[in-house]
Amino acid sequence: MLWGAVAGGFAGTLVLTTLLRAAGELSLTRIDLPFLLGTALTSDRSRAKALGYVLHFAVGQLFAFGYLGMFVVIGHSGWLLGAVFGLTHGLFSITALVNVLLPVVHPRMGSTYTAAGSSPLLEPPGFLMRNYGARTPEITIAAHIAYGALVGGLISLAA
Amino acid sequence: MSWGQGVPVVPRRTDGYAPIEQYAAIGDGRTVALVAADGAIDWWCLPDIDSAAVCWSMLDADSGGRFTLAPTAAYTVSRRYVTNTNVLETTFTTATGAVRVTDALLLGQPGLAPLRELYRRVDGVAGQVMMRWQLAPRFDFGRTPTRLVRRAGVPVAQGRGQALAVCSWGAGDPELRPTQLAAQFTLDAGESAGILLAYARGEPLVLPPREEVDERLRETCRTWREWAQSRHHDGPWREAVVRSALALKLLVYAPSGALAAAATTALPEMLGGERNWDYRYCWVRDSAFILDTLTSLGCAPEAEAFFWWLMHASALTHPRLQVLYRLDGGAQATETELALDGYRGSRPVRVGNGASGQLQLDVYGDLLEAAWRYAHTCGTIDPEIARRLAQTADLVAEIWPRPDSGMWEVRSEPQHFTHSKMMCAIALERAAALADLGALPSRHVARWLAEARAVRDFVERNCWSQDAGAYVRSAGSTDVDASVLLAVLFGYSPPDDERLRSTVDVIGERLAQGPFVARYTGDDGLAGTEGAFLACSFWLVEALARTGRRARATALFEQLLSHANDVGLYAEEVDPETGAFLGNFPQGLTHLALISAATALAGEGYRP
Repeated sequence: MLWGAVAGGFAGTLVLTTLLRAAGELSLTRIDLPFLLGTALTSDRSRAKALGYVLHFAVGQLFAFGYLGMFVVIGHSGWLLGAVFGLTHGLFSITALVNVLLPVVHPRMGSTYTAAGSSPLLEPPGFLMRNYGARTPEITIAAHIAYGALVGGLISLAA
Repeated sequence: MSWGQGVPVVPRRTDGYAPIEQYAAIGDGRTVALVAADGAIDWWCLPDIDSAAVCWSMLDADSGGRFTLAPTAAYTVSRRYVTNTNVLETTFTTATGAVRVTDALLLGQPGLAPLRELYRRVDGVAGQVMMRWQLAPRFDFGRTPTRLVRRAGVPVAQGRGQALAVCSWGAGDPELRPTQLAAQFTLDAGESAGILLAYARGEPLVLPPREEVDERLRETCRTWREWAQSRHHDGPWREAVVRSALALKLLVYAPSGALAAAATTALPEMLGGERNWDYRYCWVRDSAFILDTLTSLGCAPEAEAFFWWLMHASALTHPRLQVLYRLDGGAQATETELALDGYRGSRPVRVGNGASGQLQLDVYGDLLEAAWRYAHTCGTIDPEIARRLAQTADLVAEIWPRPDSGMWEVRSEPQHFTHSKMMCAIALERAAALADLGALPSRHVARWLAEARAVRDFVERNCWSQDAGAYVRSAGSTDVDASVLLAVLFGYSPPDDERLRSTVDVIGERLAQGPFVARYTGDDGLAGTEGAFLACSFWLVEALARTGRRARATALFEQLLSHANDVGLYAEEVDPETGAFLGNFPQGLTHLALISAATALAGEGYRP
């Protein structure tokens, strides 16, 4: 099951990232999670993206192990349950994780409290991350459902 | 001109409306409030500069929200900004004494601060003065009900999902009425009082103690002062330049780095007319000016934040550019009308801006000019942004032959505006120059340069009038347009180009009335007329300076400086007959143009 989580975390993050990137190229959203993560470490855009991808895949693995823990507790796994976890994960991301927590800890991101004394480089995501485009919430949730389904499915296969 | 000393002003109202030039702006990088010379706050949007207003009696004197604070007896007024800050000091003098009111939107540090807080501190200066204050909050332009209640002894105004607590110290016991609260108090010399409006949305109200609020006021003054003192400008007009920089900083929406064109909506370009637009958006048209000004003043963090915002905001519409974007980077700016009386009867009162859907070709030139300046002054352009800029240049090469609405956003039929075509040539040439530097992919450079030559050929054949002796407003027209002055400012042709020099002279002759320059002659699809456009007046100064007529430029510049209001601010337009301000206020483009002109006159500033 452990290797299933590793494979699921990698494949899930790959698909999630690809979906968000494709949506960006289609001008549906400006969300770019690797970019948001990488700019926490550097203001060099290119380096931020490279670092951000590494971080994003690492975070994807961590979440996959979290999913694994919950599957073990429940005593059941599968792509459908994984998709439900992904839905919850996506909702948490757009309402709290990226929307509220990231601006608090990100050194280059503005927040609703940012005042004239500072000039952050990144705009805050706003409620449901809609500052990054009106369709960002549904795209982010769909990508997380895909992530969860892959993690759940591969853990189930490895069980 | 010395705004630091406290300038006497005689407060006036007509039908309940103060003249626009009698307002001063205070802000915190998130929202702006306007304070009239009689001490009334008639404009304040919450929580952000582009949100619905809670004080909006500027747009409806009868039913709009308002916060008044003034002596009960007859008084005279002088006011100024605390030196190098956006904190306003108004001194009221009566027959019995004098008080000083300090108005500020606090910047949030130190301590646990409310989401937004507006502080009015009153200090007794001499004798004894009886003061009266009255707050009538109306959330959401009055579209949702506002309830006034007391919570633990503190008056609180509640709207849908938002609340405004009224904390007061030594300012009387406020009497709560259904739609307003009011109090009066007496202040002796050496005493002080304070009234704080603490705002919350989506979180509990924070009710800070007075010591923390006074500490935040000191910190707010210190932050503004440090920022202003760090600005680079050594010309003879430093005071005006720094005041303009501070006005621009008020319009920078700090959470995203975008710069609002103005702090208000629907202030009329003609009293009683229909030219009442919402300027609480960021115009791509201003981007090159913004970057140039911010970098010339040494505001590198703000310049970088703005460019990042610009590239993020335009991603959703790429490769097309919208004329304007929301301050949070959104592309939606749906125009609607509010059922309000309008400033001195000027209707409709619009929120949102329909110009967002227009085709304006000049914005592509502004974007690539901004990128060019960014690459030269701020930093490198990363490969993804470079790819997008190259695709934008490809688009310009394709669409430049189309007619457009022009930078003035006319609502008549699209035309081949001269300025739009010139900016297309600049877009293509800047893209090629960036590719030369290795900052943009170079695959399409030959096509960009060929199309740029075609644009220039079009301009010279169709937009030059031998009869007028000038580049005219649009192909085949006989009208003139001050936007063509930007050809000088953006380096479309060398400053000694005869056609350009002649155009500057003709614009000065045909569009200027005294020191004020109108935007254009000819139809724009709207009823009525408008005042002179102050940015155009400063552009004429800069164009004269850059074409070698420095003495004329200096004289004109100093005339224009004398027409700032008592605290050094400008609106969008001015009535050339009376000097009364018109249009939205304070206007970012006017202050950008002032700084650019001062920089040109001082012999500074980068030009390609």
